[in-house]
Amino acid sequence: MSVSTDVEFHVEDLPIGPLDDGTSVLLTGDDCEALESIFYRIVSADAGEHSLVLATEESGVAVQRALDNAKRGGKERSSILTCSGSSAGENITTVDDLGDLTTLGMELSMLASAPEVAEGRMRSGIFLTSTLCGAASDTRSVYRFLNSNFLTDLRRNEAIGVAAVDTSADIGGDTSSIITGLETSFTGRIHVESNGSGSVTLEITGLGDDRTVDVSI
Amino acid sequence: MVSNTVLCVDTGAALDETTARLDEEPTLDPITSTSVAEATQRLDSESVACVVTEYDLADGTGMDVVRSVRENAPQTPCVLYTETRPSEIETDAVEEVIVEYLNKDLADAGDRLGFVVDDVIAHSAQVGFLTPDDEGSRLDALSEYDVDDLPIEDSFERLTDLITSHFDAAVAFIGLLEKDEENFLACTGADWDSLTREETICTHSMLQEDVMVVEDIREDKRFANNDQLHDLGIVSYAGANMTTPEGQVIGQVCLIDHEPRSYDATERAELEQFAETAMEVLELRQSLRTAQKQVGEQ
Repeated sequence: MSVSTDVEFHVEDLPIGPLDDGTSVLLTGDDCEALESIFYRIVSADAGEHSLVLATEESGVAVQRALDNAKRGGKERSSILTCSGSSAGENITTVDDLGDLTTLGMELSMLASAPEVAEGRMRSGIFLTSTLCGAASDTRSVYRFLNSNFLTDLRRNEAIGVAAVDTSADIGGDTSSIITGLETSFTGRIHVESNGSGSVTLEITGLGDDRTVDVSI
Repeated sequence: MVSNTVLCVDTGAALDETTARLDEEPTLDPITSTSVAEATQRLDSESVACVVTEYDLADGTGMDVVRSVRENAPQTPCVLYTETRPSEIETDAVEEVIVEYLNKDLADAGDRLGFVVDDVIAHSAQVGFLTPDDEGSRLDALSEYDVDDLPIEDSFERLTDLITSHFDAAVAFIGLLEKDEENFLACTGADWDSLTREETICTHSMLQEDVMVVEDIREDKRFANNDQLHDLGIVSYAGANMTTPEGQVIGQVCLIDHEPRSYDATERAELEQFAETAMEVLELRQSLRTAQKQVGEQ
């Protein structure tokens, strides 16, 4: 348990950061594959850190594999909360109903306060927040969930957080307007624009100097 | 130092332990209840900054307490402080009610409790509704306009009459976005005084640079389940910002209709012009008042 310190989180292979302790990033884009690649590069834990991922569409095993691909050993340094697949596997917790934000929030808080997470540095992430918006009957509940259960854990741990939004998904209203609302809760935003042929453009705002950079995925 | 009342719901030694932990925090003032019924009664009669509740209670569960809080004071944060694990908690009746959760079995749960409660109280407004990044300075800017002392209502009512007629809309209003609610300075077509920030569409609209239009709130999940809006007969919405010369959004000029409706680019631009006019009227009145004050002091 802590409040913000001078702790920094490095993001290898991306022109982002280092990110200060407590930083929260809204990651947006309409190319899910590109979004996923950037998400796991930020969220996969270094040695001495722990990843906590809420996966809305992928199984826990698939998330562990993605973390490992992004950073060797990432799987061992992770806890996964998933709404898909079985709970078979170490450090994987499943919730049956994606629309049950009450349980999702409590499970996420429970995992964030576990000793292996709370006593070290945490990289937390939601892939995909847009799926939560689609499943919830009231978008205000998603705002509350993010502000109560996700972002608070960043304040209480040495942590950073990333919430990914697939902007091509139906999120229950005007996408641009909903994202503008979501942005108010986050430190900064990274918008991922695919260029084709394994390259993306990142529009980075609110995380130091605003800039646009091309990276390969 | 401001003291925040925290309602603790539990029984026996556990209740004593919880209140003792909260008593250690100088900003927290714990009060107690030992059942859902008693807690509900207290929530009806007293204002509390936060509720900390056990899940297993003699006459129900902590989720019943949370539901009662949400009905009485939706913005009040709740912490479920229990040994019961999330997977064992019954949520069928409250699937989208968000609570903080802290497991009592954690070795340092008692140490964490005060920190968590302090934190949720400090950030409760942020949780209840969206706020712009510059909310503090925005409210400072708003407080510069002594609306109560300005003879502004007649001018604004003439303006909302004109806006309603121009757009052939059911309702037009001019509202200022205060800390917790939106106060309507003028409203043609309805008799509305105020709405909480959590309920009003303007909370979202004020974040947009351009005019925000919701053609049918029943099709937008931010508003589809907002009973307050339905009770007011709101179906479509268009809102433009009232922005101070320094760039702070302090209010909105809005159109409401009782049926789905879209607004083209020209209409949106016109609504923006009406919002600019409302802001100019406010500015001129404020300047006049300041000038009169200065003359009076000489």
